[in-house]
Amino acid sequence: MEGLLAGNEEAVRALYARYARPIFTLGLRLLGNSEAAEELTQDVFLAAWRKAARFDPSRGRLSTWLMTIAHNLAVDRLRRDTGVTRPHLVLVDEVPEMGGVDEEEPLIERDAAIRALDSLSDAEKRLLGRAYFGGLTAREIAEADGIPLGTVKTRLRTALIKVRRANQDKERP
Amino acid sequence: MTCLDVRELLPELAVGVLSADQRTGVERHLQWCAGCRKEAADLGQAAATFGFALAPAPVPQGLGERVVSRVRRAAGAPGTARRARTAAASIVAAMVAVASLGWGAVMAGRADRFEERAAQAERSQAEALERFQRVLANVIPAEAVSAGDTHLGQLSPVATGAGGGFALQLVSPTILDFSMVIVNGLDPAETDPLPYRVRLVNADGQELRAGRIEELDADGRAEVFHQFKRADLTGFTSVVIVDADGDVVLSGTVDQSA
Repeated sequence: MEGLLAGNEEAVRALYARYARPIFTLGLRLLGNSEAAEELTQDVFLAAWRKAARFDPSRGRLSTWLMTIAHNLAVDRLRRDTGVTRPHLVLVDEVPEMGGVDEEEPLIERDAAIRALDSLSDAEKRLLGRAYFGGLTAREIAEADGIPLGTVKTRLRTALIKVRRANQDKERP
Repeated sequence: MTCLDVRELLPELAVGVLSADQRTGVERHLQWCAGCRKEAADLGQAAATFGFALAPAPVPQGLGERVVSRVRRAAGAPGTARRARTAAASIVAAMVAVASLGWGAVMAGRADRFEERAAQAERSQAEALERFQRVLANVIPAEAVSAGDTHLGQLSPVATGAGGGFALQLVSPTILDFSMVIVNGLDPAETDPLPYRVRLVNADGQELRAGRIEELDADGRAEVFHQFKRADLTGFTSVVIVDADGDVVLSGTVDQSA
């Protein structure tokens, strides 16, 4: 991070080598085309450099920080492009693929993410996917499914806490 | 917004589906509420897991070089200045760390609440400075910075204007002098057009430029850092922020005697 703060080229390259692929992939999924995903990837690393001083390792991992920046930038871009107050995300499908693709350098983060998501039921994966990738608010999900808004909010929170707990269990020695 | 209101919205914040208004409200609360901030961080970390679980797509050739080149341009050309820039970045990190250690609470809110919070801030100035010095000690050799090198001042709006802020200065015989200004609760849409310029003025009326504010976040907040390669900040205690029309937006005095 110190290298990134100083605009150190090696630090940027190292971060890029490790995180460009998941960031680009997320951009592709949310924005729907390679050109926009590429632009988003550049914006993420630039934002990371600009915000490097604010990164606090005690509040989360670097990988999470970068992915959150990517997701927020993508959502902001969609809001800007569509001029609406909530994102209309490109819904390719609802649940992330859970494997089967060869990677030159398997990312620890991805393996860990897949294991953490295994703690969720299929219904919980679908629910989170509809919000995270589909851009549906709790209210929209509640209306679509004909269930109370409070129930959707509780389920969203419960699912996120389960993932977080699975991440924490994995991090313990 | 109460903690209860905010906690109800945090899952949707984590998955990025809050409306702009809701997000602004929640983020404003998170600036000063450590408990909700922790919950937001936990849920955000969980949501990011979804992004990492995606089957990876091939990255276009040459993108890495384009990324490096963009950051390099933003960071300035590499070379002899790198060492000084690194030092500045460390100080910036320290300054921001100080800001996040508790000034968020002081700075949160718009004009209507600022006066009360500013009064509280004044009461805790000594504590804030001590914290600033402690953080500085972590990034700069202890012998290089003494307690007397760091100074703080409060910025207030003129007349009935909105917002407020703080000015921090490092005035050191051994390290390049440095200033940081944090503003909050400003609303350029109302009367004061951006960009804002930060000026430090001494008793003789001499001025030093200490940065420019190009944009404000949803809370009307911004931070400006400036390292002075030649100038000595001794005596430049008056801090003035002017808008694009040259009108004073905020002003205050840094107490260099402390």
